[in-house]
Amino acid sequence: MLYMAKRGSVVLKVSGLRRAFGPVTILDKFNLEVREGEAVALTGRNGAGKSTLLRCLVGADKPDDGTIEIDGTKLTESAVEIRRDMATVIDDLDFFPDLSVVEHLDLLARAHGLSDPEPVVDEILHEVQLIPQSGQLPGTLSSGQRRRLALATAFVRPRKLLILDEPEQRLDTEGIFWLARRLREERENGLAIVFASHEPSLVNSVATRILHLGAARDGEMVGPTPDQSLAEPSLTPETVVPGEPSAAVPGQSAQKTAQKQKQPAKKPRPSQGRKPKSTPKSAANQRRNR
Amino acid sequence: MTTADVPFAEHGQRAPLIADDPATAKELKLMIKDWRTGRATRSLGQALSDGYIAVFGFLLVGAMVANVIVQAQGVVSQCNSQACLSARTLLPWATFALCVSAALVLSRLFGPVLASAAEGFWLLDAPVQRKRLLTPRLLGITAAGLGIGMLAGGLIAALTGSPFDEIVIWGVGTGLAAAASISFAAAEQGAERHLPTRLVSYLFGLLGLVALLAVIAVAAKWVVLDVNATRAVDIGLALIAAAAIVLVLTSVLALARLNQIRRTRLLSGGALVSGISGAFFALDFGLIRDIVVDRRAMEIGHVRSRPGRGVGLRPLVWREAQRLARSPQPLLWVALSLVVPYAVDALGMGSVMPIFGSLVLFGAMVPMLNGLRVLTRTGGLARAMPFSNKAIKRATVAVPAVVALLWALATIPAFLGFASDHHPFPEAALMALVTGAAGFLGAVRWTTGKPPNFGGPAVASQFGAIPPGLIIGMIRGFDMCLLITAPLLLGMPPMVSLVIAAIVALILLTLDWDAMKAQAEEQQKQVRAERQQRAGN
Repeated sequence: MLYMAKRGSVVLKVSGLRRAFGPVTILDKFNLEVREGEAVALTGRNGAGKSTLLRCLVGADKPDDGTIEIDGTKLTESAVEIRRDMATVIDDLDFFPDLSVVEHLDLLARAHGLSDPEPVVDEILHEVQLIPQSGQLPGTLSSGQRRRLALATAFVRPRKLLILDEPEQRLDTEGIFWLARRLREERENGLAIVFASHEPSLVNSVATRILHLGAARDGEMVGPTPDQSLAEPSLTPETVVPGEPSAAVPGQSAQKTAQKQKQPAKKPRPSQGRKPKSTPKSAANQRRNR
Repeated sequence: MTTADVPFAEHGQRAPLIADDPATAKELKLMIKDWRTGRATRSLGQALSDGYIAVFGFLLVGAMVANVIVQAQGVVSQCNSQACLSARTLLPWATFALCVSAALVLSRLFGPVLASAAEGFWLLDAPVQRKRLLTPRLLGITAAGLGIGMLAGGLIAALTGSPFDEIVIWGVGTGLAAAASISFAAAEQGAERHLPTRLVSYLFGLLGLVALLAVIAVAAKWVVLDVNATRAVDIGLALIAAAAIVLVLTSVLALARLNQIRRTRLLSGGALVSGISGAFFALDFGLIRDIVVDRRAMEIGHVRSRPGRGVGLRPLVWREAQRLARSPQPLLWVALSLVVPYAVDALGMGSVMPIFGSLVLFGAMVPMLNGLRVLTRTGGLARAMPFSNKAIKRATVAVPAVVALLWALATIPAFLGFASDHHPFPEAALMALVTGAAGFLGAVRWTTGKPPNFGGPAVASQFGAIPPGLIIGMIRGFDMCLLITAPLLLGMPPMVSLVIAAIVALILLTLDWDAMKAQAEEQQKQVRAERQQRAGN
């Protein structure tokens, strides 16, 4: 089966992006359009510019030239509309040292306008398998658990665009299966996704397009000319890369395995003593994706 | 012995290594010292001669501080009012108790006996007596406590106008007590106990607070204190004797238990010190605080989660209040800082009350701004919230601002004056408000400050290249306290200071510098593009 990109409205538009560090130009004349329901995977070797591009896309880094528009609004890092629509997990996510795991998710959900965030928070905690850790402070989590919490912060709030930098980092095999399934589901629900990854199974199962960014080759490290880009020409929206789940991709049986993720026999409740309200999952999904 | 020399047993298997002449602890330490000094590129003398301007500056500032202390001592010693006498009697006691408490808290945080990761890997596994390695360290820490305690006790006794013999007694007494606290904590560390150290630190903290409150009570004439100078000296000598006995006993215990301290406990303190010292050498004081806060959070580990309230910015404000209710220690520091304006007034130094009060409040408010710190140190968490940076800042400082306002209201009686010049109520209220605002805004500026950028352009100096933000980072926060309270020190109306405070608040909390900078850059880019277009045409 060939994944066909839904022809929704353009959520992310990058035009003529240029970013250089000293004499080395990492990105030049980079164009990209991502529409609703599209997932663009950035691949390439270390130093190819994947993280630099993503940092520019979220506003954490300033491009030397070019424009970035999110849902028609020109990107500035602190623009409220952009912060409302764009969920990001890159390497600069920080946590309050004295708020527990569940309190972080509750805070973010409420900040985004969910007046009763408990069902959504409980659901995502269950998905990322952090229910036993719901009362823990972030400093006591393992690196993998911190990664799961970071991913949970992106899924606990409404969003139109999801930007992830190597989301599979520090996740175990089950975690990568879950992530692939979740991202596919998000994409099918109309979310635009841009993510960098070194995990072929994740890329193949989630992406509708794959952009391979080229790195500096041996002997080319010193002095590309200012106009020379290390990035390969970007693909047009029409260029769709087949992303059929294959043997390397979590298939149906893998999905079932992921769904049967082991939870403690007696599940501690993240709500810490309050009665959970039985909200249908579909309603929670609707609220989440607005 | 090299691997080639390792004897082979039968069937080609390696025989176990046997060390005929294992190294002693002293030899290992000398070897490490040799490595360290052997890799130095400059001697201490060369480094000092390169930075002669800084050395000269430190000497100059040191001489000025000493001169100020001598002058203040001369002025205060002339004061014979009840308030002055009470402060002279009680403040050294408060210093004594608070020094003991601080020594115990710091000892518990760092160890007090600790080892670096390298020492843990290379030395603590070696077949040497761990006690021999750690004894000089324990003695060094105890001696440092003695010196710092002596300095603090003597300084406060001098500033309260005590005669020379009392200065010496309080200096020695406080120093010995601080040293005894460290050795007591070390003895408890060897026994793997934490509770006694914690309880004793709380007890002495409470005693210090009571002593400080007593200064206010006497200055306000709520309590009459009968002061007997001869008895004070006797009590001081008894205190020295008691502290010395505790020091000896706990030192013996601590030395006997040095072998029992677990390696993980030693390395934990070492890791904390190395993190803090790294941040200190980069002069990133915010990072030092972050390290300590993270360590404290890791000690707590787990909390009883509570649901938030409301939507939008309200849950952010609610979480700040909740955080304060969960860990009310910062409130204790603010409550303690309340004593300073009263104590300064009691000593007849009412004219410097605003700057002293604001500086102490600045220090006390910083722990209350942890939320602001997290949201401003990296952009990740702020970006996850659908608000502008300025809205986030305002929401996170709302609760601390209310606390600062309450602090200002509570200091109005001090500004009305017990011992020094009396101010009319409106003026006293304004002065208290300005002092509170200065301390609060100083803390906000310190918390939101960016660390020095060692990757950007640097300024050439005698010490080599220095990032421009490095020097500003050292005075950040203090500058706001001085700027806002300077008109009061110069005898100008408090309204001037209030206007300055309002401008500072506007800049720190209302303007979004990052957004403005991005906008300016964008405009410059457009102008450049238009110029190029015109040139092309």
